[in-house]
Amino acid sequence: MEGLFSILNTELLVATIRLSTPITLAAIGATICEKSGIVNIAMEGIMIIGAFFATVVAYYTGNPWAGLLAGIISGGLFSLIHAFATVTLHLDHTVSGAVLNILSFGIVRYLMVLIFGHPGTTNPIPVGLKAYQWAIPGLSRIPVLGPIFFNQTPIVYLSFVAIIFFTFFLKRMKVGLHLRAAGEHPLALETIGVSVYKMRYLGVLISGLLSGMAGAYLSIENNVSFTEGMTNGKGFIALAAMISGGWHPIGAFLAALFFGFADALQIRFQIIKLINVPEELFIIFPYILCVVAVAGLVRRSRPPKADGKDFMIERVE
Amino acid sequence: MKKLSLMFLVLVLAAGLFMTGCAKEEAADDAPMIVSMATDVGGLGDKSFNDGAYAGLLMAQDKLGVEPRVVESKQQTDYVPNLSGLAEDGSSLVFAVGFLMADAVIEAAANNPDAAFAGIDIWAADDAPKNFQGISFNEHEAGYLAGVVAGMMTKEYASASDKLNDDNVLGVVLGMFIPPVEKFEVGFIAGARSVNPTVEVISVTSGSFVDQAKGKEAALAMIEQGADIIFHAAGLTGLGAINACKEEGVLAIGVDVDQNSVAPDTVLTSAEKKIVQATYLTVESVHNGTFAGGNAYYGINEDAVGIAPFHSFDSMVPQAVKDKVAAVTADMKAGKVKVPTTRAELDKM
Repeated sequence: MEGLFSILNTELLVATIRLSTPITLAAIGATICEKSGIVNIAMEGIMIIGAFFATVVAYYTGNPWAGLLAGIISGGLFSLIHAFATVTLHLDHTVSGAVLNILSFGIVRYLMVLIFGHPGTTNPIPVGLKAYQWAIPGLSRIPVLGPIFFNQTPIVYLSFVAIIFFTFFLKRMKVGLHLRAAGEHPLALETIGVSVYKMRYLGVLISGLLSGMAGAYLSIENNVSFTEGMTNGKGFIALAAMISGGWHPIGAFLAALFFGFADALQIRFQIIKLINVPEELFIIFPYILCVVAVAGLVRRSRPPKADGKDFMIERVE
Repeated sequence: MKKLSLMFLVLVLAAGLFMTGCAKEEAADDAPMIVSMATDVGGLGDKSFNDGAYAGLLMAQDKLGVEPRVVESKQQTDYVPNLSGLAEDGSSLVFAVGFLMADAVIEAAANNPDAAFAGIDIWAADDAPKNFQGISFNEHEAGYLAGVVAGMMTKEYASASDKLNDDNVLGVVLGMFIPPVEKFEVGFIAGARSVNPTVEVISVTSGSFVDQAKGKEAALAMIEQGADIIFHAAGLTGLGAINACKEEGVLAIGVDVDQNSVAPDTVLTSAEKKIVQATYLTVESVHNGTFAGGNAYYGINEDAVGIAPFHSFDSMVPQAVKDKVAAVTADMKAGKVKVPTTRAELDKM
């Protein structure tokens, strides 16, 4: 039992934040996207794109901030393919999302060879965003909460900002309300003269920007190089976080924290050998929780009414 | 997308067949022997297995004049078509790289009895086709040597570097728990204990070979518990572990190939599987006509496993540690050291 207490410390919670940040960002993105009525399962692929371009730019400019910007923008641009396919071309949302996921891995493999001469992993970037870790004076001295929330790296702070901003965005801002209407009752929105297409494009774009940032977090903040497949399912966990979070940014954050915590905990369980079972059981622990959470919470949370439903403007001649 | 690329592959293969068909008449005997490899999903550039095998092919091209070819696998369902495709395309010897290609290479070997197949890190069972050779490494021997270094450095010589602390703790980050990974781990633990009986070695299985974030978290959690040298047998996941060591100012031990270049101020040494050497020796055996099915083992006796140079740490590592490594290597070659290969064997020691 002595071992058990040695792992229940602030570090466990700091690790939770580290592991949950990419999931939080992608889950908020997915939430906004689905609020606008577009199902998006392509976060995994968008994250890979963001992670890759962030690394390329950070590697060649030597400036991780330029890398971050590149990650966000490339994620946004890549997501527009999804918007074009689902909104303009009226394709099935899930099919388009799946295509994006496959496409992203192909694009990255191709560009890896083109730019770095080999696939697999890139060379380390000169400076990562971790170097810009910033302890907020005063606040960071608060026991426990200080190191967790107020002594963090840039993208983690940005994820906190995103949680607050997008909660406000959906609740209070006019454009946020219009976006929600596009996902609840698109026809009503169109009749008051607001373009459903535009709102849905915006929703997808936001999910792309945030997922791109999540990718940049993995490659240039948490680490210093890009590895193909480094998202390792985090984009899909984000989907689960969105659902268990009840299509709400704060809910998505809490669910992502929960998954991050489960992962941080299982690593420590392995270290103290809490129970003598095969490692595989520890490894699947977060995923089991994920399934349980989605199955348990999904009944209480409700997706937007027109989520995944195509909307076509009928022109009367 | 997939259909298109598959169609493209078929077209390329067809074109290749057609062209070899045309060329055959004039090429006659002096056409170079074609030796090829299909990577696992890690692909070239993994600074590990796939790169090592490829370097072996290039070495064979240099020394034996063979023509190397590479096909990269994007997903596990590519393995059989890639391997078979290479054989049908005129390769005399096809390498499958990595344990996860085991079933695929045996299927491809059975379908293409005229070509020789070799599987790096793959075990040939008794009923495997006769044109298939499994190439295994004695990872435990490399792990043991790395363990000897780590075991001595973390306690006896902890004052040699400010990256080492007073806690007698070492860490091991594992990828998926498969036999070669297990051999590295138990060899490392046995080696560390042989020079430092009270050492505590903690290990974490990440369950992935590509998840840098998880490798980093595992290493950070170990460092928190006092580990000051972390060994990884986790492929690209291990890059995250090395990065964690760099950030926290402790030492790392790389795996498979000399990983010093990943972080020269952090990677003390690497437990090497000299895949280059083993790949080359296999090509040579086909070239000389001595290739045989079954299993080939490459270990300390063939100089195909070992530890990499200390590079910038060379002056920091005490002579006593280097002497011990040399002595243990000699003892292993003389068969005086028994290194366990599974956790069950380790527990019995």
